[in-house]
Amino acid sequence: MIEHNVRLGKMMTRSKVLDHLIRDKDNVSIAMTQPMVRFENVTKRYGALTVLDGLNLDIARNEKVSIIGPSGSGKTTVLRMLMTLEQINGGVIWVDGEPLTHMNKHGQLVPASERHLRRVRAKIGMVFQHFNLFPHLTALQNCIEAPVSVLGLSRQEAEARGAELLDMVGLGDKKNHYPIQLSGGQKQRVAIARALAMRPKVMLFDEVTSALDPELVGEVLNVIRTLGTEHDLTMLMVTHQMAFAKEFSDRVCFFHGGKIAEQGTPDQLFGDPQNERTKQFLSAVLEAR
Amino acid sequence: MNEFALSLTFSALARGLLVTAAVTMAASLVAVTMGLVVGLCRVSPRRSVRWPAIVYIEFFRGTSLLVQLYWWFFVLPIFGVALSPWTVAIFGIGVCVSSYGAELVRAAIRAVDRGQYEASIALNFSRATMMRRIIVPQAIRAMLPAWGTLLIELLKGTSLVFFITISEFTSSAKSAADATGNYLFFFAIALLGYYIVARGLITPFVRWLESHLSRGFVRITAP
Repeated sequence: MIEHNVRLGKMMTRSKVLDHLIRDKDNVSIAMTQPMVRFENVTKRYGALTVLDGLNLDIARNEKVSIIGPSGSGKTTVLRMLMTLEQINGGVIWVDGEPLTHMNKHGQLVPASERHLRRVRAKIGMVFQHFNLFPHLTALQNCIEAPVSVLGLSRQEAEARGAELLDMVGLGDKKNHYPIQLSGGQKQRVAIARALAMRPKVMLFDEVTSALDPELVGEVLNVIRTLGTEHDLTMLMVTHQMAFAKEFSDRVCFFHGGKIAEQGTPDQLFGDPQNERTKQFLSAVLEAR
Repeated sequence: MNEFALSLTFSALARGLLVTAAVTMAASLVAVTMGLVVGLCRVSPRRSVRWPAIVYIEFFRGTSLLVQLYWWFFVLPIFGVALSPWTVAIFGIGVCVSSYGAELVRAAIRAVDRGQYEASIALNFSRATMMRRIIVPQAIRAMLPAWGTLLIELLKGTSLVFFITISEFTSSAKSAADATGNYLFFFAIALLGYYIVARGLITPFVRWLESHLSRGFVRITAP
């Protein structure tokens, strides 16, 4: 019996190694072409209301994509589904070549287990409109809590990295402040540092400047700009800052009625929109300024 | 009434007050511990954990405390479980109050901003870690004032332990009044005694906890 188990164990080890080799080889060949994030025919409904209707969207590695559109067009839902804050009603979301919402079982895609979700979700970080900092923790503690208790980093390691990240967002001197002692812009920069501390490959920004006083918007956008140019990050942002979207994005998607009505480079979309809805939206937004 | 009898009466009163304070403190400990445990079970996503908590709360909150004490003390021995009066006093009252406390815990956990849960998911916390490190610390702070009130209620409920043979503050005030005929004086002392324990013991303790746990919730000058 024991012998049998040992033999079985050896077999399993061997097949695992083999499996690994194959996967590694695949990864190398696929990595260049495979999108970092793929929405495949994703549908989201709230009761009778269809918020997203068969969404197909590929986002390449390190691509910066902005999502714009009128409220209720489903743009925030895209991010929330990717962060697994919302369950999807149809289709599959892929992250880095792996299904996020599903897992492979006997060659079939079945709804993901909590364990699978947590493993794939680790590649994604998110910054929220209302910061959602932990009010009972200081800026630094906000940045080290998850690295310590989720990634298993030592306290020292996490603190060093947390301090470094707070320095990067220009808040090195505020690390012992509680969120309530910070301005909106500072809170949002802590939130960015906190998300980065988990070393995500994909960063989601959900209207991160919408809750800020106008004079604080710049400092947050500057941090995002730095991130985009100095780090290998795939970034997906829902924004109302058209000027920033134009300057920063590789691609802009205009959402309307739960679908991508139009997408293209910033120059195409802002300079020469084809879709009637896009034109209306952009002229309304520009009028408001 | 001679002075000797009076001094006996007062020492009985003082002992009664001590008994009441002791039962209050020990039962509070049980109430807080069980309240937290049952309240956390009550909000569990697992039905097998949630349902026993619901039954616990419904039973102990929905039936009379005095009858519960009678069950612990007079009925359980029929089934071969004999508990001392003090055990019954502390656990009987503690468990009953914990069922109200569990609802406070549940309400406070539910009241934590949804954004805190979402940020925890985004940071990939396991549910247990999220509750322990993020949600519960905030909920505890929010539920403290309500706990203060509940523990004062508990204090007053301790007078029922007289019916399971413990002479506590109310009963010793009653016997002092009976012995001397001075009802006005001794029942005035009884009122005052409870007030002093409530305001002198429970309220300061809860306030201390509140200020201790309020880091990040009130604006204080930067360190």
